[in-house]
Amino acid sequence: MNTEQILVEIREANLSYLMLAQSLIRSDREQALYRLGICEDTANTISGLTPAQTMKVAQSSTLLCRFRMDDELVWNLITSHGKNAANEGVGRLHAAILLAGRHQEAA
Amino acid sequence: MARNKSILTETRQIERAVVLINLGARLQVLESETDLSYERLLRLYKEVAGKSPSKGQLPFSTDWFMTWQPNIHASLFLNIHEYLNKATALDEIDVVIKAYQLYLEQIQAQGLEPMLSVTRAWRLVKFVDNGMLTMTACSSCGGHFVTHPHEIAKHYVCGLCNPPARAGKGKAAGTLQMLSSAAALTH
Repeated sequence: MNTEQILVEIREANLSYLMLAQSLIRSDREQALYRLGICEDTANTISGLTPAQTMKVAQSSTLLCRFRMDDELVWNLITSHGKNAANEGVGRLHAAILLAGRHQEAA
Repeated sequence: MARNKSILTETRQIERAVVLINLGARLQVLESETDLSYERLLRLYKEVAGKSPSKGQLPFSTDWFMTWQPNIHASLFLNIHEYLNKATALDEIDVVIKAYQLYLEQIQAQGLEPMLSVTRAWRLVKFVDNGMLTMTACSSCGGHFVTHPHEIAKHYVCGLCNPPARAGKGKAAGTLQMLSSAAALTH
């Protein structure tokens, strides 16, 4: 991938993310906060963007959304590595409980 | 509480009641969470569900929440509930409704049967409110799980980090299955 391609891909991803976020917020604001892992203020900003602003924000050299599972414990549970390898369903449920418990990032 | 005569308030309450009936709530939940009369709720229930509501008492024991698989389901729901509670400013019953919908999604996405009914979820929140149940952080994974109050946090290990010997051996569809550690080693 050359630089130009990278920028195009990032813009596409940013645009998809913003549009998905906007429609989630429109259909159920509170559940959207949980799904997106964002706070009320961020939700207000995103839902208040005009189409022109959305395009401008998406046009960036970095991604707007960030990886949420940045620790080894949750990652291993989801990808079924380590001692839980045989119990995938249990691992995913365990990861869901751990992720749902992280409201300090949103609030 | 004085009965509110506002038509808008009443419409809002009927909408809420309909959502709860569709999620499978018992009539007692509706009676407690709306100002609508018993007769109107009964009519609404029959209209929405197409049948009479089940009779009898609500499950009142906290013990159910302590058994292995129900505890996992209840903990997932309560974590989502706490998340919404902290991140949003909703009426209490709306937090229960929205958290329960998100819980159902997660469970169904994994092909499991929802063990926690909306009535139990509502009871669980009441139990936590009046201090009969609480959440304790697991000393191994750090996740928060439903426990009795006064659990000694330093020594508490959740049912997922340390499953009981018979856990996950049931063959019923939609329940969690755990392979024994001997079988797991051969994988």
